[in-house]
Amino acid sequence: MSAPLRTAPNRTAAAPLPLHAVEAAVRRRRRPRGWAWVAPALLLLGVFVYLPLLQNLQYSVMKWDIYAGGSTFVGLANYEKLVDDPVFWRALFNNSAYAAVSLVCQVFGALLLAALVEGLRSERWRRALRAIYFVPSAISLTVAGLLFYFVYEPELGILNALLRGVGLDTLTQAWLGQEGTAIWAVIAMSQWQGFGYSTLLFAIAIQRIPQDLFDAASLDGVGPIRRFFQVTVPLTREMTGLMIIVTLSGAFQVFNEVMVMTSGGPNNSSQVLVTWLYRMGFGRNDFGYAAAIATVIFVLTLGIALLQLAITRKRRVEW
Amino acid sequence: MNNVRLRVCAVSAAVLIGLTACGGGIDVEAADLTAEPEYEGTLSILTKFGGEPLSPYFEDLAAEYTSMHPEVDFEIIQETDQSIKDKTKTLVASSALPDIYFSWTGDYADKFIEGGLATDLTSVLAPDSEWGSTFGAASLDAFAKDGKYFAVPLYNNGKFMGYNKAVFDAAGVAVPTTFEELIAACPALEAQGVEPLAFGNKDGWPGLHFLQQLFAYNVPQDVLEKDFEPATAAWDHPGYLKSLEEFQTVVQECTGTGSDSNGVLYSTAQQAQSSGQAAMYFQEILEFDSVVTESSAITAEDFGIFALPAPEGAEGDPAALEGSPEGMMVNARSPRQALAVDFLRFVTSKDNAERLAGAPYSQPSTIIGAVSDTTASPAVVEGVTELNEASYILGWLDAVTVPDVADAWLAGGEALVSGSETPEEVLSNVRAASDSAE
Repeated sequence: MSAPLRTAPNRTAAAPLPLHAVEAAVRRRRRPRGWAWVAPALLLLGVFVYLPLLQNLQYSVMKWDIYAGGSTFVGLANYEKLVDDPVFWRALFNNSAYAAVSLVCQVFGALLLAALVEGLRSERWRRALRAIYFVPSAISLTVAGLLFYFVYEPELGILNALLRGVGLDTLTQAWLGQEGTAIWAVIAMSQWQGFGYSTLLFAIAIQRIPQDLFDAASLDGVGPIRRFFQVTVPLTREMTGLMIIVTLSGAFQVFNEVMVMTSGGPNNSSQVLVTWLYRMGFGRNDFGYAAAIATVIFVLTLGIALLQLAITRKRRVEW
Repeated sequence: MNNVRLRVCAVSAAVLIGLTACGGGIDVEAADLTAEPEYEGTLSILTKFGGEPLSPYFEDLAAEYTSMHPEVDFEIIQETDQSIKDKTKTLVASSALPDIYFSWTGDYADKFIEGGLATDLTSVLAPDSEWGSTFGAASLDAFAKDGKYFAVPLYNNGKFMGYNKAVFDAAGVAVPTTFEELIAACPALEAQGVEPLAFGNKDGWPGLHFLQQLFAYNVPQDVLEKDFEPATAAWDHPGYLKSLEEFQTVVQECTGTGSDSNGVLYSTAQQAQSSGQAAMYFQEILEFDSVVTESSAITAEDFGIFALPAPEGAEGDPAALEGSPEGMMVNARSPRQALAVDFLRFVTSKDNAERLAGAPYSQPSTIIGAVSDTTASPAVVEGVTELNEASYILGWLDAVTVPDVADAWLAGGEALVSGSETPEEVLSNVRAASDSAE
């Protein structure tokens, strides 16, 4: 409750204040109180989000010796080193491959699967399939990584055993031990783990579409494929936009599964930006360079998020 | 609006400048390590004994020490071989390094010494001192720098070829005395239905262990030591190229996994020998009692060891061995240095050293006489004896070189296994890493 506006005493002869002046006065009165409400959140954000960001930026222009405890200002040297680092570019390529595959599988593939599941007449089947698809997402990435390490193991792994079982011995290999296949094997595991969660989110989005729209489309003689493109896709656009942001940002922040399954090897072939950052910081004691890589990751993910937010805001659909 | 932006930029710049001014080391007065310590407070320890069967060792000793000195308690952080590097760096970076912490030798230890984080223990640990004289001199020297002693070596470690005597006998193969004989023996061993040599290089360092032992044979000691320092390194001795080629030969000719070995864990290879599926496995002394257990297919009688044999006509030292002691340092910034030293004296007493050498720990203690037939398994005793008789002990390749060079060797070793790079290309990358690290 805000206090009633006090007017000047004995102003009976004066004209009443115009409305905009009253509103301005109210805004002035309320402003300090608004700040008071948001101050704790702003303080926490400042201390735990923006201060570390600034610190990271500071470290990225320093050469930091954690043992001696000193640091030297080196300007943009860490960023110049980054441009000449072939493993950095390899990692960026791997992250981009991760993003591309995740977009196809965890956004478009998951939307298609969710539409198929939600299109089933039997509620029992719909529930059962949602549960089945969601199970891998309930497994932590670390556990899933270890599990797939044994799936991919060249001698004892189930994948090579299956290939041998169907007479495809020539295709068997050390999936995580060969430079050409290591990152793709990790990406495949990641899709298996995340696919169900995306499908479930799209299923929820499809359930929010009024049934009338599907019925109307059916009455107009629209087939399932056209119904998918003309009803489901446009009316799940917000969820699709959100999933694209989450998937792309996530693809540039991948760490756990690569660390567990390959540690970035063999010969750095499966390094991604965060594992390379980690190796530079904790392996080579080059925390300044690691901070420069972190800055690049931040800029990339922020750029993706801003771009996607701008696109989805323009294309918002209401019904 | 422009004013707001200007203010934001100004504040950001001010914060950045302010932050840049932070940091720096902490000066702590040097403690008198010879004085009687104050038996009170909490001693923090970072060990590499995480997991079974090793974790009870320090826990039990800490409990015993507390029973003798009730005012002393402990905070023990136990890590594994793989995780301790990251944990240590995190603790260093956050100025939270414990009072006592684990260290390897070589460049790894030098970082702590040069950074002023390792207490100079010379006054109590020099080889001619009462406490220092209980250690093998070579293990003390491994942690010495400029004539000063900076760490308490806890146990010795070395790399040997463990072999299954029964399989060798069945194949009619004698213990090879040259590298060429080793390669020639592999087809006969394979004919017994086992993998001649189990090898898992997923972590990269098992390959480096082969390389470093071959370097010791193919490259003279003075050249090696010059090349480990970026300021004097050339990495151009022909012995390096020869070693890389020999490593590729042993991977391709003797291992069952060949170029797929980067996809196999070292523990899988260890298990292959333990279950009798492999005739040989190149392993550390610390692994002997993990391979031969009560439930393993290979028995203690059938388990033998030999040094990886030297190639014929090698230019280096055929009696050199790869190995290194591992030990504990005392934090130079700790206010409890004297107490930390007292606890380490207790840890390395004859009784506790024998306890470390015996089952279930099986760590070859550096204390003279602690490893014997009564305390350790025959293979461990043999390994330690050979290590003590070696003409020269060469530390692990990823510990004696600076991190950039170690990383180049790690990637190069994996590339040699998968065949994606030639020995020349690997060596060229190592030289580039060494040049940039100067």
